[in-house]
Amino acid sequence: MRRRFTAIFWALRQLAGRAALTVSGPAAASPGPLFSALALMALAGATLAFLLAKPLTHVLNQPAATGYDVVRMVLLYATLPRLVMALVCGAGLGASGAILQQVLRNPLAAPTTLGIDAGARLALALATLFTPSLLGVGRDVVALLGSAISTLLVFALVRRREFSALSLVLAGLVVSLYCGALSAILVLLHNRLLASLFIWGGGSLSQQSWGPSIGLGIRLGTLGVLLVLLVRPLSVMDLGEESVRALGLSPARLRILAVAVAAAMAAFVTSSVGVIGFIGLVAPILARLSGARRFAGQLVWSTIIGALLLLFTDGAVQLFTGATSEFVPTGAVTAVLGSPLLLILLPRLKTVVSPPSFTGSRIAAPVRLPGVLIAASGCALLIAVTLLVGRGPAGQWQLLSLEGWRHVVVWRWPRLSASAAAGALLGVAGTILQRLTGNPMASPEVLGVGAGAILATALSLFVFGTASGLGATMAAMIGGAVVLGLIVALGRRSNFAPERVLLAGIALDALIDAVVGVLSATGDPRAVVLLGWMSGSTAEVGPRDAVQTGLAAVLLVSASLLAARWLAILPLGAPQATALGVPLARARLLLLLLAAALTAAATPVIGPLTFVGLMASHIVGTLGIRRPVSALLGAAVAGAAVMAVADWLARVAAFPIQLPTGLVAAMAGAPFLMVLLNRRSAFS
Amino acid sequence: MKNEIRTLALEKVEFGVGDRTILQPLTTTLSGRGVTGLVGQNGSGKSTLLKLLARQQRATSGRIAFGGRAIEEWSDREFARKVAYLPQHTPLAAGLLVRELVAMGRYPWHGALGRFGPADQAAVDEALALTGTDTIADRFVETLSGGERQRAWFAMLVAQQAQLLLLDEPISALDVAHQVAVLRLVRRLSEEHGVGVVIVIHEINMAARFCDQMIALKNGSLIAQGPPAELMTTEQLEAIYEVHMGTLEHPDTHSSMAYVRF
Repeated sequence: MRRRFTAIFWALRQLAGRAALTVSGPAAASPGPLFSALALMALAGATLAFLLAKPLTHVLNQPAATGYDVVRMVLLYATLPRLVMALVCGAGLGASGAILQQVLRNPLAAPTTLGIDAGARLALALATLFTPSLLGVGRDVVALLGSAISTLLVFALVRRREFSALSLVLAGLVVSLYCGALSAILVLLHNRLLASLFIWGGGSLSQQSWGPSIGLGIRLGTLGVLLVLLVRPLSVMDLGEESVRALGLSPARLRILAVAVAAAMAAFVTSSVGVIGFIGLVAPILARLSGARRFAGQLVWSTIIGALLLLFTDGAVQLFTGATSEFVPTGAVTAVLGSPLLLILLPRLKTVVSPPSFTGSRIAAPVRLPGVLIAASGCALLIAVTLLVGRGPAGQWQLLSLEGWRHVVVWRWPRLSASAAAGALLGVAGTILQRLTGNPMASPEVLGVGAGAILATALSLFVFGTASGLGATMAAMIGGAVVLGLIVALGRRSNFAPERVLLAGIALDALIDAVVGVLSATGDPRAVVLLGWMSGSTAEVGPRDAVQTGLAAVLLVSASLLAARWLAILPLGAPQATALGVPLARARLLLLLLAAALTAAATPVIGPLTFVGLMASHIVGTLGIRRPVSALLGAAVAGAAVMAVADWLARVAAFPIQLPTGLVAAMAGAPFLMVLLNRRSAFS
Repeated sequence: MKNEIRTLALEKVEFGVGDRTILQPLTTTLSGRGVTGLVGQNGSGKSTLLKLLARQQRATSGRIAFGGRAIEEWSDREFARKVAYLPQHTPLAAGLLVRELVAMGRYPWHGALGRFGPADQAAVDEALALTGTDTIADRFVETLSGGERQRAWFAMLVAQQAQLLLLDEPISALDVAHQVAVLRLVRRLSEEHGVGVVIVIHEINMAARFCDQMIALKNGSLIAQGPPAELMTTEQLEAIYEVHMGTLEHPDTHSSMAYVRF
């Protein structure tokens, strides 16, 4: 389980001109995290020098108290507090991310994983719409309340599972998907009222006084004291659960404490400045990549690197955007700078010998024939309900009559079958990726194919002014292909080692999300068009799209069955697969390409947010289906069913408004997954 | 099956990481018949040598030939049909039945798409019966005890029907009874099925009892190779392990037994 990254800060070593090139384990000579920190400090210093030179000389040359001095006031009460805020927020997020990656034993974990930001965002959206008076009390109070409720919800969900790392991650994902989907729907329905959420969602650091930064500093400092007590117990986590228990600690209590502290830190930051997601993910990774081996070191360096990275980013934002810097969300830009850094360092990531198996902790009783029958009749019932039940012109519920059938069904079947086909495609893609990488958080999104498609669509929207028709489809396909090409190019050197491909995909994702975030925060009305496209609306799907997607589903799902043997052997780890004669690099590449093709085929129908891909395979897993062929088919059926229900709900729930199916899928599937998560497993 | 070429010829095979050499240039020949024990201290390069033979790692320099062809020239599945490898630490194999794990040993024969035919089924059944895992065939691998799990993995290797088994410390975590059971099975495969075995082993007396040939490594160099009787002398043993050792006669077999002197 131990994911150990012993690697060298490659770029810096080039700068330093050091000669040693090989990494031979933890003892390898490495410039160390101090180097990364110093380099970041130099960068931040240079930016600050440019930024502060003019106002500082102005203030220094002007004797104090010479009346109304705007430059002086801006420097003292806006620029400097903002820089301090950047340092404090970066430090808090860096520390929070380091704790979460340690506790959850997952290098992809970040404060956003637990739904802290999604809860805050939903709370803000709800307060803005329904009880605006609450915002008078304080936006940060509302956000904090939202984060607290979502975190408690996560805790409540995993209470029965001893707060195991896997179930924490899963429950966090479910809660954040759910809150995220709800607030996205609210934004789509009331976008004029909620435009400010775009900027908040992008994390804006602009300040008007010293109050917030000092307040946040005090709050984080208090939590920091608690952290000191947690460092030693958390270091033991590297040895595994048994050793933790043998050393007299309770793993469950330790996890809940650590997660609570990390969540509180991230929630304080989020409530003050909005979502700055990428720092919490990338700072701990950078700390490890630059050679911090032990947890205490990782925590300290992650905090320092997070603070400096955010300071540098914010300095750069202020420097380059000048007067409009208030409206450029720093959080989004962090990813623009952080992602390339992550990509440069990625080749130094030490490959983990065998992927951790995640299915083992939750083996449910195997499904027997009655189960299959129940599932089949359930599906038949589902098709009947989704086709026949709808709402009439006046909004009344009605069952489709025989004479109505001919006129109405032509409108219903294309979107229903296209949704179901897309669900099947994504369910299979998610299953393949999770088996290939051994990471339960792997979903079609992490390939970055969807994100590439969004970016290309966004570009075509902003450059050519259209996000529909053949041009947009072409743009999306080219965008997806370019991202896939990049991932393959980056993965080639490591024989497509899963964790590198995942991190590369996530870096690209964050980069592209950031660009979309910046575009959205400009307040351009086209951002709402883009958001609509991203949330996956099936209302305009025609018979041709439906047939195309259906054919793609049949072909690609059948193709994936051909890879079933690889999917059975690969989870045993690379040495076993090699010993049995599986062509490792070729098998991984083919599976990645297959997952990309599956994702790409579904994207035109339900957009790039592929919650279904994440959920379907977990639904199948919790039902106790484990053999590759049945798991693939099961995921296809589960994905199709979730999407069919989602499409129906999207059609009827807010009639006559058609909700985006992709978002509704998250809302329909998430509770189902929660119920399954809470089910008792066969072995405990 | 018995007359096929299976000799492993090593020519100046060297392995190192960075400037640290783990295996000094090594030239020797392994007949690929009978049971060959690799002995030596921890860190002497036994596991590395085995990994090089199994194509798990590539030699830094030198050439390993299997059946007269460089091992890199064999295709993945072709090689896996001839050579099976059991790593020291077997993964958890979560969510797998013993039967399914054993069936994976057939991959080199049927490949990614080939039919799992009667021959494959027969091989799996035979492997289960031979290793005594048929009684636990329908249990989950992760619920097995250490000895049972070792047998299950061993059954997978048997189902692979390779001519050469490379075993990395297969008995290190087992009690005496299970150690003897695994080694008897190894001997039986070697004698009745003509399988060649190379086994990394720490229990020197077990090695002497069950191996036909022994190879001793020290600091990455080969220091002795020959039948057990040649290695089971005070001088050789002290050279290998660098502790005071003595030998005495086994009351039943009259062969030499090693013990540590105080």
